Amino acid sequence: MLEVAGLAAGYLGEPVIEGVDIEIRTGEAVAIVGSNGAGKSTLFRAIAGLLPPMQGRVVLDGKDLTRRPAHRIARAGIAYVPAERHLFPAMTLKTNLVLGAYPKRPDRATLELVYALFPRLQERQRQQAGTLSGGEQQMLAVGRALMARPRLLMLDEPTTGLAPIVAQAAFEALEGLKKEGMTLLIAEQQVPLALSVADRGYVLENGRIRLSGTSVELDRNPEVRRAYLGVA
Amino acid sequence: MRAVILDGIVLGLAFGLLGVGMTLVYGLGGVINLAYGQIVVLAAIVISLRMEDGWATVQAALVGVLAAAGVAVLLDQTLMRAVYRQHGEERTLMGLLLTLGAAFVIGGLLTWRYPAGALYINVTGEPVSILGVPMAVGSVWASVIALAVAAVLLLFFGGTTFGRGVRSVIQDETGARLVGISPSFVRTVIFALSGALAGIVAITQSMSGPLTVNAGFELTTFALIVTVVGGLGSVAGAFLAGVLLGVVNSLSAHYIGQYITTIILLGAAALTILIRPRGLLGR
Repeated sequence: MLEVAGLAAGYLGEPVIEGVDIEIRTGEAVAIVGSNGAGKSTLFRAIAGLLPPMQGRVVLDGKDLTRRPAHRIARAGIAYVPAERHLFPAMTLKTNLVLGAYPKRPDRATLELVYALFPRLQERQRQQAGTLSGGEQQMLAVGRALMARPRLLMLDEPTTGLAPIVAQAAFEALEGLKKEGMTLLIAEQQVPLALSVADRGYVLENGRIRLSGTSVELDRNPEVRRAYLGVA
Repeated sequence: MRAVILDGIVLGLAFGLLGVGMTLVYGLGGVINLAYGQIVVLAAIVISLRMEDGWATVQAALVGVLAAAGVAVLLDQTLMRAVYRQHGEERTLMGLLLTLGAAFVIGGLLTWRYPAGALYINVTGEPVSILGVPMAVGSVWASVIALAVAAVLLLFFGGTTFGRGVRSVIQDETGARLVGISPSFVRTVIFALSGALAGIVAITQSMSGPLTVNAGFELTTFALIVTVVGGLGSVAGAFLAGVLLGVVNSLSAHYIGQYITTIILLGAAALTILIRPRGLLGR
């Protein structure tokens, strides 16, 4: 469904990622793993249109989205949840969710689905988004992204700033989403967590794809174990 | 005393109406439109020319509002393009410089072509008694219009999908893009709205006395003070700040003297920056 070919992107004319090829099929969960500064966020920003790619193509369901503005890409069905979340702090949680469906009016079934996935959000729907805890903000960011009924959900470091137990719960929620048939692309520094939910993964190093394979293959790969799983 | 405060509220509603068009544009993209007062004047001149041609006041006023909105869209599609390509401080600076340039051009053209240009909409009628204080009909009308505009804006921003979209761009532009909102489209619409509001200001300001061709910078200054005190991008904040400042203005004019009022208002703005930089209702 999503095809990224030869993608290069960066800042001030300097590419941070180069020649990145990835492919995601409908219903799959794919992880992008790599250390801090490997270019995961740059890759996501380029796919989402927040950072215009210098080279390469981004194609969703046969539709070329390269260099489209971010709001067009969002409306085409790619929902991106950045690590910084970018919620609307002075609006209520509910209004944040309602805006997720923009320009449409939110549809009841989707709202119910989000509340079923994160019951916490329903309890706090009148609270201002800026006053939520880190974990709640992450739930809200994912919930807001789901309101548009996206074709593909991209999550950048969903566990940033979360306590280990909360991070675990977040990934359980992702597991649930995957069972609902959502296609997921997840960037994560916590490699074991990422591989636990993903079907396949790509290892990004210094802006290039170093390795790819199924989660089982990556989990067994000695290089991956040494670099990311803390196994000697 | 009661009369002084009522006068202050009338003045304050006018301040609020004046500030709201500037605060929305400022909140949305960090641009202080220094040509705002000149757009008000432009609307006033258009209306006065139509009225000289024998048009009915309402039709003339409508054309004036549309003209002001049109000029705003023109600015948005030309000068503002260059401004919004910049970010952060550069954007604010470039916005200041280019809109100041536009202010001189629009103001200069108008004073050159219509050196004696002025708009006075004479609302005839017996003074209306409010809380036992007789008020001029023109002032009452101007206040009613300001309140109606405030109500419409609050409903628009609080209750419509597009209005919420506008607020989302004010709060987090990246977040807005991620949910499918085009900040540049929103800015164009709001710039047009701000122009239309400038046109309405031209109408209300000229109901209690003539609005002359050289009033531009004074109007911009007051709009800026209201924006600072009310808080960026807040409709309610602009009107609240407007009324507070109006009452302060009226009281100081009555008990100290007219000469001191502008200094006191500027002082209020400076004080706001010192003790509450985000303004009364800013985020």
